[in-house]
Amino acid sequence: MTSVTLRINNIACRYESTSVLEDIELSALGGDFIGVIGPNASGKSTLIRSISRTLRPYMGAILLDEKDVYALPSKEVAKKLAVVPQESVITFAFTALEIVLMGRNPHIGRFDAEGADDLAIARKAMELTNTWHLSERPINELSGGEKQRVIIARALAQEPKVLLLDEPTDHLDIGHQIEILDLIKRLSKEESIIVIAVFHNLNLASLYCDRLMLIHHGKIFSLGSPENVLTAENIKRVYGVEVLIKRQPVTNSIYVTLLPRRDSMPPSSDYLSNKGAPKRMFFVHIICGAGTGSQLMHLLTERGYKVTAGVLNAIDTDHEMNYLGIPIVSEAPFSSISCEAHEANLELIDKADVIVLTSIPFGYGNLKNLEAAELALENKPVLLIEKEPIEKRDFTQGEAKKIYNRLKENGAVVLQDTKEVLPIIEEIAR
Amino acid sequence: MNYLEKILHWKLIITYLIVVLVLTIVITATLGPAHIHPLIVLKMLASRLPLVNSLVAPSWSISEETIIFQIRLPRIILGVLVGAALGVAGTAMQGLFKNPMADPYIIGISAGAALGATLAMVTLASLSMYMVPLMAFIFAMGAIFLVYNIARVGSKLPTSTLLLSGIAVTLFLSAITSFMMYISGEKLHGIVFWLMGGLWASSWDDVWMTFPWIVIGTTIIYIFARDLNVMLLDEEPAQHLGVDVERLKKIIMTFTSLITASAVAVSGIIGFVGLIIPHAMRILVGPDHRILLPCSALVGGVFLVWADTLARTIIAPTEIPVGIITSIFGAPFFIYLLRKRKKAIF
Repeated sequence: MTSVTLRINNIACRYESTSVLEDIELSALGGDFIGVIGPNASGKSTLIRSISRTLRPYMGAILLDEKDVYALPSKEVAKKLAVVPQESVITFAFTALEIVLMGRNPHIGRFDAEGADDLAIARKAMELTNTWHLSERPINELSGGEKQRVIIARALAQEPKVLLLDEPTDHLDIGHQIEILDLIKRLSKEESIIVIAVFHNLNLASLYCDRLMLIHHGKIFSLGSPENVLTAENIKRVYGVEVLIKRQPVTNSIYVTLLPRRDSMPPSSDYLSNKGAPKRMFFVHIICGAGTGSQLMHLLTERGYKVTAGVLNAIDTDHEMNYLGIPIVSEAPFSSISCEAHEANLELIDKADVIVLTSIPFGYGNLKNLEAAELALENKPVLLIEKEPIEKRDFTQGEAKKIYNRLKENGAVVLQDTKEVLPIIEEIAR
Repeated sequence: MNYLEKILHWKLIITYLIVVLVLTIVITATLGPAHIHPLIVLKMLASRLPLVNSLVAPSWSISEETIIFQIRLPRIILGVLVGAALGVAGTAMQGLFKNPMADPYIIGISAGAALGATLAMVTLASLSMYMVPLMAFIFAMGAIFLVYNIARVGSKLPTSTLLLSGIAVTLFLSAITSFMMYISGEKLHGIVFWLMGGLWASSWDDVWMTFPWIVIGTTIIYIFARDLNVMLLDEEPAQHLGVDVERLKKIIMTFTSLITASAVAVSGIIGFVGLIIPHAMRILVGPDHRILLPCSALVGGVFLVWADTLARTIIAPTEIPVGIITSIFGAPFFIYLLRKRKKAIF
């Protein structure tokens, strides 16, 4: 059996006279899992509607197995192509099984009724979507998530070769999201089905899709593998937000982290209020690592302080904060702090008005950071965040502890928590 | 209840309702000013059936035979036909529009028929007995044609514009009908009587005039029962499940109009049957049109025959229009259903 093909040939769609899609090109083979992403009103759902014969493009053609879907009878198309809509409003009392059996409609002749085969297929679809136990329940009494899984079972009961899903899992909890997407992914490979799914959640899209189509203002902004489409640059230009792109260490998929917009952050509580914002440029240098400084860097930057940091290893979590434009002295991954890095660190310390040392563990590799703090203490305030006693963080057989205690003795301020840092810095800045 | 049990259950319901229908015909045939024993009625019916007719010896008078066969039976059979037509048409309209308030008259059929009948009664000096139903039928179909063409957008028939143009055409035609009634003089009584709906003076001719249309129309609507089910999911999902939505709308509209116009032409405007019966049946047997349509047909027939029996016996020898009976009993029942099943009308 040859694989199903779907070709979207340069289509353009409009509602009345408003153009909503233009120059859309795509070609897919059985087994492809394609994600459609883009902001609200970018034309994602319109694409699904035009492929599913609901909104005829005024230009171009959609070819299913090389035949124009708009030239085929709806029954022929429905045998090959199933749609899971964004939301299904069903207000009458069909049972879940009856709804799934409607998926068999295109396969049943005008004068026939559902047979044992159809019932078996419907049952299998319900078992796959974990809804068989709901089969006798009226559909209008099911929860949103249960209903959506029944609708997905209905689509599977059509035994489609192309499955279109419009934000299929938005109503589901994360457990069912993963379960359903796993199932659809598996079916797409096993049964050689083309899946085209609209996603809002970029991370789910990157986790499941072989290809992504990023739509912006009705046009393809980017089309390709998740790592090529989900770049910080693309997302900033299309969605207008700052994000951090990482590779998930476990799944190796692209992972998008949203970052709040710095210019529009509202003060969220009293101690975050802008009362104490500095009048002049006030420099805070943070000696940190292993993610202990990220939160503080973010907070201080938001409040208008000039933040610097060092010395960090280049793959350290805190190192990712340089997206904030924070000058960071870095060192090669897993290397000890070199003399050059130490020098650079001291230079930043020299410019700073106050130094913060976070609750980091010390080994021989980063002992120089502790020495830097000690040098700083000679002429400026040093804040020590001590979430854990130094004994537990000392991996240098007492050497770090010695310097640390000297810091304390010589007047470094000891704080229990990161939260206490901002009020003190505000105090000093004033 | 599993699927096969459900099918079996359906067959039982249909069988039961057919028995009820036959009993209704026999019992109501005995009721009237002249009392005729049910056994006699059964024997009379048997004498007209092939195979068993030789077993029955006539034991009744000629006048009894005339009352049953020429007066009561055609009226009862016509009641069954009209009730069934209104039940089926109401079910199909409610399903097609996904609107529990839809009834067979919603897209202008009643207003067209009323105008046609009024025109016939006012303008034609000597009335042939067929002119009123003929004019009612022609104008009913004309009204539908008008509504259809007002509502049509290109080759599509959007449900909302269809309902609205139905209302607009109804108002317009009713205004003309009112004018005709205003200038009708002594014929007003006949017009009002017709408009209220009734089955009096029904003859076998009336039965044979409506029978083919109602049977053909109902059968064709039933063939599309599964599509009507899928249509309840809304138009887009129905399209995705292989239903040619626009074609289905046209087919259902055409044949619903045909059977409704046939019914209205011979019986006038009998209200509430097409609204109440589908509702009650949906609550009793569920929303699947494959059982809902036959049940609505059978119960619609039974209901109208009993209502008509009441209409002709309650203050005999005076008859009241059966439309009054159906509304008097139908409206409170409808309110009862609304209160009881507020959320689950569909």
